[in-house]
Amino acid sequence: MSSPSLLDVLLRPGSLQAVFQPIFALGEDRGVRFVEGLIRGPFGTNAREASVLFEYVRRKGKEVEFDRLCVRQVVASAAGLPAGLGLSVNIHASTLEYDRSFPDFLLHLAEASGIPAPGLIVEIVEHGQGFSGAGFSAAVRSLRDRGVGVALDDVGCGQSSYRRMLDCQPQYFKVDRYLVHGCHGDPRRQAILDSIAGLARTFSSRVVAEGVERTADLETLRQLEIDFAQGFLLAEPGPASWLAVWSTDVSGYTPAISAVAAPPE
Amino acid sequence: MSHKILIVEDEDSISFALRRFLSMRGFDVDCASELEEAQALVAHVPYAAVVADLRLTCVHGAEGLEMISHVRKHAPGTRTILLTAYGSPEIEAEARSRGVDAVLPKPQPLGELADLLTALVEAE
Repeated sequence: MSSPSLLDVLLRPGSLQAVFQPIFALGEDRGVRFVEGLIRGPFGTNAREASVLFEYVRRKGKEVEFDRLCVRQVVASAAGLPAGLGLSVNIHASTLEYDRSFPDFLLHLAEASGIPAPGLIVEIVEHGQGFSGAGFSAAVRSLRDRGVGVALDDVGCGQSSYRRMLDCQPQYFKVDRYLVHGCHGDPRRQAILDSIAGLARTFSSRVVAEGVERTADLETLRQLEIDFAQGFLLAEPGPASWLAVWSTDVSGYTPAISAVAAPPE
Repeated sequence: MSHKILIVEDEDSISFALRRFLSMRGFDVDCASELEEAQALVAHVPYAAVVADLRLTCVHGAEGLEMISHVRKHAPGTRTILLTAYGSPEIEAEARSRGVDAVLPKPQPLGELADLLTALVEAE
């Protein structure tokens, strides 16, 4: 006798939970500018952790179906977000290649929830084998033409290649935590971050450092003129309602938060 | 610190018994009933050992062998045990060629399995 498969459990309505992590500007215009919508699997399953969840989904070859489910959950849960924050959603590059109606699906979903296209950022995640990219390029063009922002995830690690930068010309380069963690006191990591920042300037793009967990790393990122920072040092992912605090009151939080929070009006 | 191990078994009753017994013997036990679920876990969770059944889906399956190869590739320090009710010299030779540490028949006395696991993970 066997239980339902993990995939069956994941596909049940309400099994996925959306949480949101703020992304802070590090320059003069400091404060939360947008949030990343993240997905957690059901409690009590092996897929509670996102890394295992998405690894499993990719191994089952269900990225396209699952990306739609996740986006639906994130957009529905974003209703409680403070007004004016951009919303970033993760999409597999393969979904953009093979799901030709995905841009329409996303835009209709956002519109129905009162999220304007310019308030959306599609964060492109790449894990699979390379593909020709005709569908991918058309999908990115379609999203961009309608005002949606484009970010390339895991820059510097994984399979986010120079080719993909040319193909999607992202407005945001999201630098993988592997390069960020420990950048203070590591000249080689700093050199790589500086090089990515220079590349981003050439693309007229902005850089988001992911996985910021140490105050010293945050200060190094600021010195390297990295535009945005995201990580547990600044704010853990949480429900939309909880995030209202970031745009209204940051008193009483850590010194790191004080350093990146918007000054009082 | 308890050793973290993964049981790959599609029969709930066997999985339940293994988890319960091995937990009582001090192991921190995760269970997966599908090959892809187990592979995803091994890619992101450091296990001291993986115990995999040979057949997970059908009478002709050999997912346990795929699991042994996957562990060797992605977590070379993780010890592996293959359990099978369909053992043969050919299966055992194939499992050995993929780097398994032990091939055991099913049913397997739980105490002996726990002793073998302890010996394998503490030999590291």
